[in-house]
Amino acid sequence: MNNQSGSSILQVDGLNVSYGSFHAVRNVSFDVKAGEIFGFLGPNGAGKTSTLSAVEGLLKPQSGTISVAGFDTKKKPLYAKANMGVQLQATSFQPELTVAEIIKLYAGIYCVDLTKEKLQNILEEIKLESSSSKRFKELSGGQQQRVSLVIATIHDPVLVLMDEPTTGLDPQSRRQLWERMENMRDKGHGILLTTHSMEEAEAVCDRIAIMDHGNVITIDTPQSIIDTHRNNQAVINASRRGKITLEDVFIGLTGKTVRT
Amino acid sequence: MQTVIPKTSAALLSLLRADFKTQWRNRRSVVLLLLVPVIILISWKGLIEQMNKAGKNGGAFALSSCITIGLTAIGLMGYSNAIARDRDKGVFQRLRVTPVPTWSIMASRLIVQLLLILLVTTFVFIVGSEYDKVNLTPAGYVLTYLTAFVGGALYLGLGQMIVGLVKNAETVNSTTRLVYFLFIMVGMFGDLGVLGNEFQKIIRWTPYGTVKNILASSMQPSNWDNTSTLALLATLGYALLFSFLGIKNFKWNTN
Repeated sequence: MNNQSGSSILQVDGLNVSYGSFHAVRNVSFDVKAGEIFGFLGPNGAGKTSTLSAVEGLLKPQSGTISVAGFDTKKKPLYAKANMGVQLQATSFQPELTVAEIIKLYAGIYCVDLTKEKLQNILEEIKLESSSSKRFKELSGGQQQRVSLVIATIHDPVLVLMDEPTTGLDPQSRRQLWERMENMRDKGHGILLTTHSMEEAEAVCDRIAIMDHGNVITIDTPQSIIDTHRNNQAVINASRRGKITLEDVFIGLTGKTVRT
Repeated sequence: MQTVIPKTSAALLSLLRADFKTQWRNRRSVVLLLLVPVIILISWKGLIEQMNKAGKNGGAFALSSCITIGLTAIGLMGYSNAIARDRDKGVFQRLRVTPVPTWSIMASRLIVQLLLILLVTTFVFIVGSEYDKVNLTPAGYVLTYLTAFVGGALYLGLGQMIVGLVKNAETVNSTTRLVYFLFIMVGMFGDLGVLGNEFQKIIRWTPYGTVKNILASSMQPSNWDNTSTLALLATLGYALLFSFLGIKNFKWNTN
């Protein structure tokens, strides 16, 4: 990776996504820079996954432009996809294939030359050298996430998209994943992740966007968002320990109502 | 930075390798898929002799029926259920975010099914020759392989239509079982005349009957007539219609 830190590798402008009459994403614009971890926060149904799916090319937006590493996802979808690595929310691979076979399959798809030694190194790096012949479903949640991340980054993409990557992980696995994300950022990858964890957003994200009802409410660094909204009455009302946290700001901006 | 798009041929090769491995790991279901037509063929030894004595070509009747049953099982029981399961599990979504054309994901699956068609047809030929002493001319064998692919396309199209119209994997499973059972029971008994003459005539122009007709005619190329040509056209029509409806309504995910 030799990306110039600070240059935009994902540019989303005026994105609109609808499912029938339901307008899921409304005129959303943001960018992700090389060497940056960008977090997408929002309650259930806020439009995070729809935005991510539009970037990944899994759904067609009604309007707006998305460009990955300078390639328009509508005009040059394969070029855009070649520059991104994706870790889906519910990743599943062919249940009959072993871990090693899955890695080989995706290396082949991306035309990555994968020798036995390289495969061994990858498996050692994710501490799965003794589980290479196991099926994906036989792995623990943390092990599955490590395999998914290896596959998402096997072709060394400039942009990595991660949809709620730490959901269901124990604290050790979550910390390990954060370290891997930070390592990728240090190497110049841009990372866009969605999360429900305020702790995660504060711990690893350089910038975050808070979404609700399909709109981006605010984009900034976690600390700047806290500072900007700390005097907002709704935020103060949401505060539980006297000290304003990112979660208080989030609740203050998106409301206390539980979303389904 | 220069962006390199993976070659479709290389990606297709990787997909094929994975799909063949998946099929190999599911070899028990392949054995079951082969067993049904083979058991029918073995149990029809007496019927073949009876038909031959009555001046009808019992060998062609039995072989074409058994290949049709095998093709039905491939399209309905194998292909559609595998697609429904992988769609439900998100396997396709994971592949769709890679820089490979989506047609190559399905092409790889279909190539594996074509090999299964070849396998079923060959098995029926071997059992027919070894056990029932039914042998064809070289032209008959070649033509039958070709028409087996056409018939297979019809049943793969039917499987695609079911998986396109039905989203839930469990419902796809029960629907295909029901359709398979109907095709086999109604098709086979109707074709034998057990359900009456009118039914026998109708069955001849159903997807079961047209496939069986073109297979039986291919086994004796000299007997290929206008009815066989019409059956071939009907088979192609069914295949195109089912595939069109299946592709048009197909969703890559169940959400």
